[in-house]
Amino acid sequence: MFISTYRVTKFAFQNFWRNFWLSVITITMLVMTLLTVNILIILNFVTDQAIQTVEDRIEVSVYFHTSAPQTSVDNAVSYLRSLSQVKDVQTISAQEMLDKFILIHKKDDAIIASLEEIGGNPFGPSLIVKAQSVSDFDFILEALENPEFRDAIREKDFSNYSDVVTRIKNATDRVRTFGVALSVIFLLIAILIVFNTVRMSIFIHREEIGIMKLVGASDRFVRAPFLLEMILLSLIAIVVMLLIVYPSIAILEPKFGFYIGGESIGLVNYFEKNGLMIFGLEFVGLVLLTLFSTGMAMRKYLKV
Amino acid sequence: MILFKNVSKIYPPNIVGIEGISLNIKPGEFVSIVGQSGTGKSTLAKLLFAEERPTRGKIEIGGWDITNIKDHEIPMLRRQIGVVFQDYKLLQRKTVYENVAFALQVAGAPAHRVREVVPLVLNIVNLHDKHGRYPNQLSGGEQQRVAIARSLVHQPKILVADEPTGNLDTLNAREIMDLLAKINEFGTTVVLVTHDRDMVNRLRRRVITLEDGKISSDVEEGRYKL
Repeated sequence: MFISTYRVTKFAFQNFWRNFWLSVITITMLVMTLLTVNILIILNFVTDQAIQTVEDRIEVSVYFHTSAPQTSVDNAVSYLRSLSQVKDVQTISAQEMLDKFILIHKKDDAIIASLEEIGGNPFGPSLIVKAQSVSDFDFILEALENPEFRDAIREKDFSNYSDVVTRIKNATDRVRTFGVALSVIFLLIAILIVFNTVRMSIFIHREEIGIMKLVGASDRFVRAPFLLEMILLSLIAIVVMLLIVYPSIAILEPKFGFYIGGESIGLVNYFEKNGLMIFGLEFVGLVLLTLFSTGMAMRKYLKV
Repeated sequence: MILFKNVSKIYPPNIVGIEGISLNIKPGEFVSIVGQSGTGKSTLAKLLFAEERPTRGKIEIGGWDITNIKDHEIPMLRRQIGVVFQDYKLLQRKTVYENVAFALQVAGAPAHRVREVVPLVLNIVNLHDKHGRYPNQLSGGEQQRVAIARSLVHQPKILVADEPTGNLDTLNAREIMDLLAKINEFGTTVVLVTHDRDMVNRLRRRVITLEDGKISSDVEEGRYKL
């Protein structure tokens, strides 16, 4: 048993070195396939982050009358926070609104002068409400019609966004559906590439397989070095792919960040957290696929 | 030792390889199977090492009925029969030493036995000084000698040589035939499939002639008659 394992391992490494260029071609094909899969993962992540960023920026601003009692504001805040559809409620007091307004318009003498003319604080308190998802805004707007504080509200400015939200919702749904379809197509292509690469590699060895059988090798003894070689090639392909993917995402991340508003989208962070699982699954998937393809491809040539 | 009882091999749809062959080869014999191309010589050889199965009849080798040999038993059979082919069938990515050693390794022979036997058989075929070369660095005759060395590592009772001189010039062919004769002298039964008239005539051993898949003559000390 030990001696067979040793020989099988030795033959696998010999096959690898003595068919160096074939090994290089096979690894290249496997790396290309893995890169395709990872580009898809990155694109899905970036799309999700972009959608999330846009969704995060959509909010309902609720402006209260200057005369609105603080209890109405507090009631509205507690009520909204109790809703599962609400992600966050930020309260801005009348004074904070005024300070913010002055800060923004401090260089505009006419506006500052108008404020002084009015004499008091023309702003009432306001709330900024963020929803868990875009589709929750309709529910939140309805919730703001609660008689407990409905009359204290002067204005809700979501109406400006409603059209945008609908369009974003439709667009994101389409992007996600397209992403899933694209993923399925790319995965099928990847499987076909791996399957045919392995078949090609075994086809080149077909005569050798026949000779091994003719000198008395069992199917298992002939098959094992090829299977082990495929595991070795898959491992090398994963390592090469990692050496390409990690530096690439580190370079690309700031560029993606720029397009979605200058913030880091957390791509490197995402791969640091989930890399082991993603690449582990890719390795397992690749090994299973190459082993299956090798087994299938060899079946024909083992019938000697 | 080798017993064929009314053996036929029909390839689909209805092509006759051999038909109704019965023969008995005794231990230590040197038998030449001759005939023109397409008369079933190679089919007969392939039946001996189970590359083909008979359509009808019964084949026994050393008392072992291999007529319906199971797939998993074939490697055991092949480790007991040495086979030499016209096209040598050497593993191109392995050295001379590794090609010969491979036949022992597949049978699970321990490393010390491989180290012991391989140089010995390479000496017999006079290739001990070329053990590190790859097949493409050898002449045709040398490649065939490697194939013979490989077939000898299990000290087989039977050696089947299917057109072993087919790709060789006269000088190399004679060397190979002398080698086969030498192996036979050590007690190994040799079944030589050939259409090389000169070689068969030189041997003056038993000759079985095939015609249209059937035995047309079987002579103890024969000559190539066709």
